Amino acid sequence: MRSRREAIIGATAFGASAAGLAGAARAQARREPIRVGVPTSQTGAYAVLGEEVIRGVQFAVDEANAAGGIDGRQVEFRIGDEQSNPDAARRAAERLALGGHGLLIGAISSASGLAIAGQLDRWNALYVSTVNKADRLTGEACGRRLFRANHSDAMDLMVVGPWLRGRPERKWGICAADYVWGRDSAAGFTRAAQETGKEVALSVFPPLGTRDYAPYISQLKAAGLQGVWVVLSGGDAINFAKQARQFGLAAELTIVGHAYIVPTTLRAAGEDVVGSYGVINYDASLDTPQNRRFVEAWRRRFNQDPGEYEAETYTGMRLIFEGVRKAGSTDADKVAQAMNGLEFESPFGMVRMRAEDHQLVMPNLMGRVVRDGGRVHRAIEMTVPAAEATPPPSAACRMG
Amino acid sequence: MSGAGRIAAGALAAAAAGPAIAALVPPGVLLSLLAQACIYAILALSVGVLARQNGMVSFGHAAMFGAGAYLAGIGLGAPGLLPAEAALPLAVLAVAAVCFGLGLIVVRVHGIAFAMLTLALGQACFEAANKARGVTGGADGLTVALPREIFGLPAATFQRAEGMFLIAWLAMVALAALAALLARSRFGLLTEAIRENEERARFLGYGTVLPRAAVFALSGGIAAAGGVLYVLYNGFVSPETVHWSVSGSALIMALLGGTRTVWGPLAGAAVYFLLREQLVEVTERWLGLLGILLVLVMVFLPDGLSGLPRRLRRRHGAEA
Repeated sequence: MRSRREAIIGATAFGASAAGLAGAARAQARREPIRVGVPTSQTGAYAVLGEEVIRGVQFAVDEANAAGGIDGRQVEFRIGDEQSNPDAARRAAERLALGGHGLLIGAISSASGLAIAGQLDRWNALYVSTVNKADRLTGEACGRRLFRANHSDAMDLMVVGPWLRGRPERKWGICAADYVWGRDSAAGFTRAAQETGKEVALSVFPPLGTRDYAPYISQLKAAGLQGVWVVLSGGDAINFAKQARQFGLAAELTIVGHAYIVPTTLRAAGEDVVGSYGVINYDASLDTPQNRRFVEAWRRRFNQDPGEYEAETYTGMRLIFEGVRKAGSTDADKVAQAMNGLEFESPFGMVRMRAEDHQLVMPNLMGRVVRDGGRVHRAIEMTVPAAEATPPPSAACRMG
Repeated sequence: MSGAGRIAAGALAAAAAGPAIAALVPPGVLLSLLAQACIYAILALSVGVLARQNGMVSFGHAAMFGAGAYLAGIGLGAPGLLPAEAALPLAVLAVAAVCFGLGLIVVRVHGIAFAMLTLALGQACFEAANKARGVTGGADGLTVALPREIFGLPAATFQRAEGMFLIAWLAMVALAALAALLARSRFGLLTEAIRENEERARFLGYGTVLPRAAVFALSGGIAAAGGVLYVLYNGFVSPETVHWSVSGSALIMALLGGTRTVWGPLAGAAVYFLLREQLVEVTERWLGLLGILLVLVMVFLPDGLSGLPRRLRRRHGAEA
């Protein structure tokens, strides 16, 4: 696996320099390459997400190198296994950063991202989150070398308010995984519901890894609700979706989810979530010129649509490249400095890295799962522009 | 030289080796790994002390390690409440005290049942770390900002590999010396007697629960001290640190090194930790390779790596 990957990188680099003029190639060779470190999950609970991150990185690197590099700099990357565990994430990132790959990207769990964040000054590194959603990353824990190129939980909840306002359902329930993400999201939804004059009549919190949702579903059915906010992910979301349809919950009321109608749920339980609504961070049908180009090239290479983690990781890589270009250097400190307020093109359109808290200001979507002939897919119903989808910087963030 | 004198001399020599290693190894990835290996060696030591003195196998020591880390982290996070110099020792003492209380109950249970009990208690702590979001930050973990100075040392000393390696090394040597001295004391001999035949010790008129609970408390305190160093170095702790898989690793380290000697678990920790970090770089199947190694050691060296010198000496003696 590793040797083949290096062979691919090598081959691309060779192709690019052979295509260029000999003189230009020599000039390129003298420029310091961009060395990206990818501490992501190759083993453990999040290994599948790690694969998506690696695909996003690989695609961005190959695209940059095929175009002659970034400002004549070739791009190299190295993967370290964070084993879906913050303690291992720290060691993987440390090895990458001290080994010269100090432009870090792509840890999976928020805890891994936060564990890495605390060490960046010591390693003279920077870290771009492309999967971590915890608000703390751009709140209390924010820092000058720490950036987020994906949507935070707070951003996901920002789109729910406007969406709820236009909905007829008044009486809502919540079914959320019993841990920090589920609880925070439930609290956020409750706030949004109150602000829009709705009522949350019942909240249930099944533990992570629940297989039998029948007791929770019967409670939700008995409460006379008109809609349910679902905060479950991975296998939990799939199990819930299947049982919600089986027990007739999906037919009775409106189901809307946080990270619920994502490609993994659609692949495993597509028929079961037809008609369900949800926050969509990214979809291949997003209508920007950059995204059309991105999706076309992605389909040519992988023969499928890019998912949100792939698109967001690609966006994070674009942030690093543009940061290096603006800084005229690959030094993490200078690149981090250059990223402040940086505007660049991404599949989400033109986006800006906000200097105050290092959150990428980007649009967010709401949509619904529909059946078109034989194909089950997501249809975007509402696009919330970047300015509205991104809450103001948290007062808890003080850039050191 | 008396036994206590030998231990003191050995400890001094080991302590002196610390600065020598720090001077020889350039500051970088390796020194950072060595610092972390020392911290985990302290955890392995605590598991070893319990196995050696009480004959008990624990599957829950990550809970004491994690509790030390969380308590220290929470204490450091509320500087108005307590100075850091008080918060860190208090974290260790609190864990030891709770372990003593728990020990009065759990040491009455033997063998597999004890192992299962520690597993259950440990996982209860893991759940608590996940659920008590207000205090622990839940699954996202607890980020800890160190005060400017701790014990007169700048905070950066605790977070740089050079500084933490020395601190963890000295702490490891001191705690191992303490465990060795205790093992030689009247108290240590009593616990070994109870380990070998509890009925008989009781018949001789000794209470057997209190000494065993005291060993459990000592073991918990040592694990907590490792946890305190862990949170100082990483500035971060999450529920994964309390998970039973960490207890399992600590037990593997202790068994790999052998629990008949005090220093066995330390050697086991060094081998396990450094080998794992090398294997992770080479293959995704590192866990399988480590498993095979453990099986081989258990089959051919039932006393662990620390049993090797004795075996060699015995074979040598037989030949001569």
